[in-house]
Amino acid sequence: MQLYGWEAIIFYILAFSTLIMGVLVVSSRAAIHSALFLLGTVINVGMLFILLRAELAAGVQILIYAGGVILLLLVALMLRQPRQISDEQSDLYTKHMWPGVLLALLLAGGFFFAMNPAQPAFRPSADLKQTDASLSDSRKELAGAGSAVSNDTQNVGDAFYKTALLPFEITSVLLLVAVIGAALVARSLKQEPLYSKSEIAAAEETTEPDSDDDEAAEVAVESEETRTATTETETKE
Amino acid sequence: MSNFVFGGLSFFTAFVLQAQNESFLKRFEPTLVNFLMLSFLLFVVGIAGVLSRRSILIILMSIELMLNAVNLNLIAFSRYLQLNQADLVKKGLAVNSITGSVFTVFIIIVAAAEIAVGLGILVTIFRNRRSATDEIDLLKF
Repeated sequence: MQLYGWEAIIFYILAFSTLIMGVLVVSSRAAIHSALFLLGTVINVGMLFILLRAELAAGVQILIYAGGVILLLLVALMLRQPRQISDEQSDLYTKHMWPGVLLALLLAGGFFFAMNPAQPAFRPSADLKQTDASLSDSRKELAGAGSAVSNDTQNVGDAFYKTALLPFEITSVLLLVAVIGAALVARSLKQEPLYSKSEIAAAEETTEPDSDDDEAAEVAVESEETRTATTETETKE
Repeated sequence: MSNFVFGGLSFFTAFVLQAQNESFLKRFEPTLVNFLMLSFLLFVVGIAGVLSRRSILIILMSIELMLNAVNLNLIAFSRYLQLNQADLVKKGLAVNSITGSVFTVFIIIVAAAEIAVGLGILVTIFRNRRSATDEIDLLKF
């Protein structure tokens, strides 16, 4: 696999911007900035997928990550109290930041020393270059490089419904369970048991009469809604 | 600062001077290894974020970063197998190049489910403790 010409230049631009944005995700001060840099990273990785002719994965990446995950993260960011930002600005990192960074750098160095000897093996060798002209035609056909649309989406869709059908169905069950779990975990405070004693005491003082009032108000709202609905239907008729 | 600028300029001029001949530029054409390096560096950045940041939201974002790196790795290998399918089959290896894309889609879906549940837990923590998430650091060594 070797990218030529413009594809190589685009790869380097995308790679460096991805890495820079990734570092900024980890190191930026405000959490909302990291969320937006994560959005940039995700879109860059999606473009790298397009460079690798995996169009379906790129589309899913941009739809689910950029459309779903980042949106969820931003909503969760909006739910925090503003006081918290000043707390966080004082102390961004744990006490053990440098061991973590050191471990990461050691991993990176180990990877480079492991991969450097292997690098020539992945380049087309000299005798292979001579037959490159004959090979490249079949390769281009295989990759669909000459045509506007590669057949990757069709292949992956076939795989989903033929060879990977059971995992596909299990994923749907997993998504259902995740939705139910998220809704169950993030219920409102009224339905939750409170944990600290002071909070329980405070809640017993305040919420019990409140809850009755709320229920009454809800009933009133509901009756109003039904009333308006009935009047609407009447006017329509 | 100026040292960095001049150093970078000297490297750049050397690069441009050497770029006149074709074979030098050929060394920089990205292969599978370049994709692996990129994905590994992204993974390392994610590890550094998980280990060093205090805010639980940033830790979740770093986990997303690591999952993205793994996806890139899978797609790169998938493409490599797709292009070298004929050679590898000749050598007697069973090759299924579409598996990488399928796994990537599954990983993206599982990541979405994970972030949904994680943020549900996070919202509950915000609501119940009414304070920064720094207090929840028992698992941070």
